[in-house]
Amino acid sequence: MKVGIVSFAHMHAHSYANALQSIKGVEFAAIADDLPERGQAAADQYGVRYVGDYPALLAEDIDALIVCTENARHAEVVIAAAKANKHILCEKPIATTLADAQAMIVACRESGVLLQTAFPVRFHPAVQRVKRLLEQGRVGRILAMRGTNRGQNPGGWFVDPALSGGGAVLDHTVHVVDLMRWFTGSEVREVYAEIDTRFHDSLAVDDCGLLTLEFANGVIASHDPSWSRCASYPTWGDVTVEIIGTEGTLSLDVFRQHMLLHSDLSGHTTHENWGDDMDSLLVADFIRSVAERKASPSVTGEDGLRALEVALAAYESATSGQPVRIG
Amino acid sequence: MFRVGLVGCGTIGSVHAQGYTRMEDVELAGIVEVREDHGRAMAQLFHTTWYPTIEALFEEAEVDVIDICVPTYLHRGYVETAARAGKHVICEKPMARTLADAQAMIDVCEENGVRLFIAQVLRFFPQYRKAYELLQAGAVGQVGTVRTTRGGVFPTSWNDWYASAENSGTLIVDMIIHDFDFLRWCFGDVRRVYAKSLRGRDLNRLDHAFVSLRFENGVIAHVEGTWAYPSGFQTRLEIAGTGGVLEHVGDEEMPIHLSLRERIGRSEGVAVPESPLAKDPYQLELEHFLACIQSGAEPIVTARDAYEALRISLAALESAATGRPIELEVRS
Ligand SMILES: NC(=O)c1ccc[n+]([C@@H]2O[C@H](COP(=O)([O-])OP(=O)(O)OC[C@H]3O[C@@H](n4cnc5c(N)ncnc54)[C@H](O)[C@@H]3O)[C@@H](O)[C@H]2O)c1
Repeated sequence: MKVGIVSFAHMHAHSYANALQSIKGVEFAAIADDLPERGQAAADQYGVRYVGDYPALLAEDIDALIVCTENARHAEVVIAAAKANKHILCEKPIATTLADAQAMIVACRESGVLLQTAFPVRFHPAVQRVKRLLEQGRVGRILAMRGTNRGQNPGGWFVDPALSGGGAVLDHTVHVVDLMRWFTGSEVREVYAEIDTRFHDSLAVDDCGLLTLEFANGVIASHDPSWSRCASYPTWGDVTVEIIGTEGTLSLDVFRQHMLLHSDLSGHTTHENWGDDMDSLLVADFIRSVAERKASPSVTGEDGLRALEVALAAYESATSGQPVRIG
Repeated sequence: MFRVGLVGCGTIGSVHAQGYTRMEDVELAGIVEVREDHGRAMAQLFHTTWYPTIEALFEEAEVDVIDICVPTYLHRGYVETAARAGKHVICEKPMARTLADAQAMIDVCEENGVRLFIAQVLRFFPQYRKAYELLQAGAVGQVGTVRTTRGGVFPTSWNDWYASAENSGTLIVDMIIHDFDFLRWCFGDVRRVYAKSLRGRDLNRLDHAFVSLRFENGVIAHVEGTWAYPSGFQTRLEIAGTGGVLEHVGDEEMPIHLSLRERIGRSEGVAVPESPLAKDPYQLELEHFLACIQSGAEPIVTARDAYEALRISLAALESAATGRPIELEVRS
């Protein structure tokens, strides 16, 4: 199977590239990028061809693409790729508008290609285990969930609203909302949010927020998507979900498999993670779905759309000062 | 020498009683309890006398200060009786179940020229004091977001009064008012409150709440309270700023962990973490209040502060009930 990567704008392209190179039966064929220097540098690093911008890659005989452009360019690339009959793994958030996300889903459906949203956290063994525990009913009926996905300001195009579509709230809401939807099997019905830019001077996008949610099945939840980790924080951030059920509670800290390194070299303490690399588990899953000609991927474009919808509703709520209903 | 009369000697009343017995120059003059057996047992334990009513206490004992540790909805009545008898008043938090009651308590103490102290004890917990001091010193730069968690298992009590939202106001009024007071101390007044809770969902002794606060100074805070855990009690605090993140995780700050092998006849659980202090925060708080009576000084936490914390709790309760964000009018 031949797979290409479109754009190294998003840094996750690197871990996907590493994953592609380690999966048997996969040929990491080529890289497209609208920035020749960035594309060429990545091509040199991974020993593959740089072919120019994405249309050149679509013209090639490859089976699947991983799309890591700036968020606002996902739609254009994915729709073109669908028309060229390539299966697609698209970085999150799936798009910056609901219309774009819908158009992407429709285009892929019409061409009969897979569109998977890159929600790697679902594939982390600790998260898979939690899903199993919940399915077994170990905590009873879920009543409430508390999520966090904090991080640091990634800078670059992430803070250019025209390319990113939003700041911390868009960037860091979708993973955890996806987990919450998956865990409950229910959709978010109402979103209230406080959103602001409080950690960085003169940033054109938001860098912090707090979402309060209610699901269609009555589950209540909160989520913190802030880029609130200071430069000296021992790690980049976190993904946590705590679940309150009728029979007990369950707390998940996805990156807890770490040891502490106190270092005079760095001048501070760092978390040294020894857990599994979920990006490669995600890519392996996508490749399997393509190889097995599955009718749909394990995490769909629709999943990406639902998570995006919640983030966009959060912005609407913060603007209006009122809770926003979805659906 | 202060002579203190204690009203209500349940969970927190006995902690206060313990505190008084450890103080020099303070005499626990009597315990007023509705439950006679329990009251007599407590009186014996703390070397004092049981009285069935506050009137009986006043008749038979000399008292300077009344400390009120009965359930929340009963605070006002005792505060009024004590103030009218010319006694200074220490009263447990939450100050009252309604703002009208809270205001009446402030008024009656003013009218009768006695002091009123509300036991918002978090300001006396060394970890929270430390956080406050670090903030004052600018340790995390400008604060952006704050998160707090408090709670554990559903509380047991006399008459199961905590289970009545009417009487206790749920954990939003009863428990996370601690965090509301602490956050007001650190960040000033709150502008807007939004909340979700499990209240009214027909759950058997399970409650959980998420409260979203927006302060006048812009800080966004997430205040979480739970009575949904199978066991235990925990607190967390995280303050994130432009130049640092301060994290307090109660469970992880225990200097002692005692683990005992299971033995027949030993009912004690497996592991018991402990964090002993030279003086517990409740004693520090009560000593501070008594010192304020002596000196006439303003306390670290005033009755007005306690009133404002209650205002936040009640706004959160209203938001959870109506589904709407509540804007708090700014007070002068
Ligand atoms: N500061 C804290 O950390 C803290 C902790 C727990 C409770 N509290 C507050 O303290 C108050 C009491 O709570 P608790 O947990 O101790 O409750 P509790 O039910 O354990 O104790 C209340 C006691 O008051 C007695 N009582 C009831 N009605 C009475 C009456 N009319 N006259 C005299 N005694 C009466 C009961 O017999 C019982 O012993 C509440 O306002 C609560 O919110 C504060």
